[in-house]
Amino acid sequence: MTQEISSLMDGELQGREADAAVSACCGDEDRKRTWYLYHAIGEAMRGQAPASLAIPANVFEKLRQQPTVLAPGRRVPATVTRVALAAAASVATIGVVGWIGSQGGGGAPVEPVVAKAPTASIQPVASTAAVVTAPVLNVQTAPVLNVQEYLVAHRQIPTPDLYRPVTNRAPVAVAR
Amino acid sequence: MLAGGRRWLPAIALGVACGAQAGPPADALGWLQRATEAARNASYAGTFVHSNGERTSTIRVTHVSVNGDEHERIEALDGPPYEIVRRNEEMFCYFPDAKTVRLDRRVNARFFPSLFRAPADVIARSYDVKLGTVEHVLGYDCRWIQLAPHDASRFSERLCSEVGSGLVVRAKTLNLQGQVIEQYTFTDLKLGPQVARGDVKSIFEARVKQWITDSQPREEAKGVDTGWTVTGLPPGFAKVTELRRTLPGRPQPVSQLIYSDGLASLSVFVEPNGAPKRTSEASSEDGTTTFFVRPMGDQLVTVLGEVPLPTAQQVGRSVAHRP
Repeated sequence: MTQEISSLMDGELQGREADAAVSACCGDEDRKRTWYLYHAIGEAMRGQAPASLAIPANVFEKLRQQPTVLAPGRRVPATVTRVALAAAASVATIGVVGWIGSQGGGGAPVEPVVAKAPTASIQPVASTAAVVTAPVLNVQTAPVLNVQEYLVAHRQIPTPDLYRPVTNRAPVAVAR
Repeated sequence: MLAGGRRWLPAIALGVACGAQAGPPADALGWLQRATEAARNASYAGTFVHSNGERTSTIRVTHVSVNGDEHERIEALDGPPYEIVRRNEEMFCYFPDAKTVRLDRRVNARFFPSLFRAPADVIARSYDVKLGTVEHVLGYDCRWIQLAPHDASRFSERLCSEVGSGLVVRAKTLNLQGQVIEQYTFTDLKLGPQVARGDVKSIFEARVKQWITDSQPREEAKGVDTGWTVTGLPPGFAKVTELRRTLPGRPQPVSQLIYSDGLASLSVFVEPNGAPKRTSEASSEDGTTTFFVRPMGDQLVTVLGEVPLPTAQQVGRSVAHRP
């Protein structure tokens, strides 16, 4: 049943399926709560936190009065990017970027405070066989923006996923 | 004047370090330079909250400087636990959930309160640096340093620099409309002799014996010539490095070019436009993080950085083969 409610909200159900889901959805208190909770979750993920998790008293009455809209199924991943960014939240604070020292011309700037490797290459973190965190939303729409991988690569964020354990590493490894 | 050109004090003994005792600098650039140096040379311990757009995280940082060596411990207080213990450029990254510790070499980590990647005079090429008011923050007097960008291709920055040591205790990034979109702020802070060398020891170190240790240095992303360049780079941005990086799920390495103006940075990624093939441009913004992706023939260009969207678009649309 929760699958039906989810599909209904995603606009995947049409015609009789949708009708069935709508009547089922409003059929009992448990399902009403599920329906409302899913919307609340969706809103929270879009950054519009609901004022309360309790169902407003009149919401189903208003819903009943709404005309049925028969729209083609659509799966617009409008919130996917935002969600992907949110997924990166816990690791986004840390980043590593090189020191640009005296590049760019215009006289001799003050020597960088850290004298070691002022314009050195960036230490790699992303690894070959690593599996990045599973997508937050299981959206099948074609090219989903996977911001997380690029964010991790840009800020050189250390994550266990990108640090391959030595046991998974094929040839030579140094274990201590 | 005197303090503006002064170098940091290398001889600090017995785990007790403090900022320069020579009094606050005379001008804004001196303040900015001192703030940059204080993040490396001062001893401090505290918890800070980082909010960027809709995201918030809490981090504990402990930093001491002993005989010129930096020792630092970073611990995430939100989300999956991790800890980084750093001695100068050596980083031990502990991931207790994965029972993994990783030895890595840092080039330059942007750990708050260390936000700058260039000396003050390089930053002054892209920003007007001015001094603001003195405020009482967390029991310390701190002076605001304002960085107003010379053009619309970057955000403006405000830093609250502790008067005694120069350490940045609060930092705000503002968009072109003057709204705060990213913020770092200490919620508690100890400075100077209150911080001991032992405070930067790993809390996981004792448990690590059964963990997987990976100390293999990574060779895959040494600086290389990727063959790509950006022709429409905004003024003030300079290339930090370029490399080939192996990203998960991709058969071929991805080229990455990193640019910075000393404060803001952006990465340009170029890779084959694979399956599923992207056919249109797309972008997203959250806080200071801007993401822009654009198909370019058989290639896919992705720009990610702490810059306004038009900057990311300008950069992304001017990627070309190096002549």
